[in-house]
Amino acid sequence: MSLLKVDDLKMYFPVRGGVLMRAVAQCKAVDGVSLTIEKGETLGLVGESGCGKTTLGKAIVRLLEPTAGAIQFDGADISHKGRHALRPMRRHMQMVFQDPAESLNPRHTVGQILAEPFIIQKMGTRMERREWVADLLQKVGLSAAHADRYPFEFSGGQRQRIGIARAIALKPKLIVCDEPVSALDVSVQSQVLNLLLDLQRDMGLSYLFIAHGLNVVKHMSDRVAVMYLGKIVELAPAEELYKNPRHAYTKALLDAIPVPDPAKRGHRRLLSGDVPSPINPPEGCAFGFRMQHPRWKDSVGMDLKLEQLTPGHWVQKCPCCVG
Amino acid sequence: MKPDAILEVQDLRTAFDTDTGRVTAVDGVSFEVPRGKVLGIVGESGCGKSVTAFSITRLLPQPHGKILGGSILFEGRDLVTLPPEEMRKVRGKEISMIFQEPMTALNPVQTIGKQLGEAILLHDPQNRDAVARSVEMLKRVRIPSPEVRLGEYAHQLSGGMRQRVMIAMALINSPKLLIADEPTTALDVTVQAQILELIAELQRELGMSVILITHDLGVIAETCDEVVVMYAGRIVERAPVHELFANPRHAYTRGLLESIPRLDAPPKARLKAIFGNVPSLENLPAGCRFADRSGKAHAPELLNTRPPFVEISPGHSIENCPVCTA
Repeated sequence: MSLLKVDDLKMYFPVRGGVLMRAVAQCKAVDGVSLTIEKGETLGLVGESGCGKTTLGKAIVRLLEPTAGAIQFDGADISHKGRHALRPMRRHMQMVFQDPAESLNPRHTVGQILAEPFIIQKMGTRMERREWVADLLQKVGLSAAHADRYPFEFSGGQRQRIGIARAIALKPKLIVCDEPVSALDVSVQSQVLNLLLDLQRDMGLSYLFIAHGLNVVKHMSDRVAVMYLGKIVELAPAEELYKNPRHAYTKALLDAIPVPDPAKRGHRRLLSGDVPSPINPPEGCAFGFRMQHPRWKDSVGMDLKLEQLTPGHWVQKCPCCVG
Repeated sequence: MKPDAILEVQDLRTAFDTDTGRVTAVDGVSFEVPRGKVLGIVGESGCGKSVTAFSITRLLPQPHGKILGGSILFEGRDLVTLPPEEMRKVRGKEISMIFQEPMTALNPVQTIGKQLGEAILLHDPQNRDAVARSVEMLKRVRIPSPEVRLGEYAHQLSGGMRQRVMIAMALINSPKLLIADEPTTALDVTVQAQILELIAELQRELGMSVILITHDLGVIAETCDEVVVMYAGRIVERAPVHELFANPRHAYTRGLLESIPRLDAPPKARLKAIFGNVPSLENLPAGCRFADRSGKAHAPELLNTRPPFVEISPGHSIENCPVCTA
């Protein structure tokens, strides 16, 4: 059985307007996503900003309550559980945020930040917690002496290590990593990626790894899901997706990555336009609409579902984007 | 001044006065920008790449930022000693700049048209074709229905569109030198590719020179002719782009190149990482500044005296610390 099973998840937000602030439209941030994550597996989630990947991550760890659809975590349906019912489950699913400067309380010492998960779960005595915090700091490559300092005394990479230490404190089963290295310097990014790989191996963690760069996602993941405007358009093993992309959007994302080799310059087919707004999204295939594909009209009214092309390789088959 | 260079920076030193003392952000940096070419400056946060750009345009935060020494020769004139009113005539006319975050660089309460027009009228108050010229520039950066956009505000545009407006504004007076400071960092990968392509195309069409500042070696490889690698306020390596990627000599350049996740690498393999953190600019050693991250022992004299900057092959120079370039 999968550790996490998401079935036809929808996350809509009302857009309010007018004098009475009534809902005048709906923002369909996540619009019918199904996926699974196995124990010890990393599922990469890639897409441009505004495609709904962060919203999906937040809904999975139940920081948001989904509008429709089901989330099964470790055999239990958690899609509409209340705060009290969720609390015992929370220790098993954690999140690492993009900007460690904003996700750590500036008025707490690192020791306080890292002890908080234990306090919330009513675990250990003060002395035990001190020991656990020291252990955590060592696990993420910092030292026990750092516990008495404040977040501002650390560099960006070190802060992200603290964010990761907090996420692994309660020995979770699943961590949602939302752009964990995007805010970091290049030379520090690889350190943090290595740390995540090491922790996964040592603790048997599963990750949902969210990023906008396909190269980082491909490097970290067993399987990769490509998301566009609230929907998954392609899902395949990382190597397969890179070698044999089937959806036009996946191809475009691969092409957009700047290759650190000047000899391979000018190989790119560029994508035009921006991600359309998830408020009143276009009918039919949203990417075909952006590309102004001549066969986009054929996709209007079609029920666009993920289809399995080869074992494990799923693609949203529409007439315009999948040749 | 070298004949084929449009800009020549010699031994530039820029510092900031802070509460805890003077911090030298750019410490003796020299390079030329070849005419009609793209020079890339690559480095991490705090390496001094943006401060170098702000020194050239003399836009350092006042009163804390100061150019302590060196010269910046632009077509024979030294920009360091140019009086402010003369510098205003150069800025936006002969040297233009694009910033990282287009939302903060554009005025939120003025229309796009007003801001574009201002860029023209500031240098040519009698110009009666400012509107036509603005429309033409917006067309050039491929903004659909430019006449409509002139009446819109920055918040009505997407991130990519805003950066296009910034580019249009920077190029509206046909500058000879464009400085682009992380122009695509705040944008999505797909939009980044569009913007880089646009800058490269306009550079070729207009024959201008470009300084492109970035932390991304992928962006450098795609767009630049020459590359300067900066670390902790100094240049550690300088070479033509093909040479730099084929034959990186400084340990820092190599480390940066090796730490990029590559698409053709096996998944979930450990990356090579540079040890330690980006250094703070306070209390840096006088000698090799990469010493504590290089993972190799440096003799005391290497930490106390600055390694010489030497040319090892035509156009390829390195800060010659014997340990870091071994």
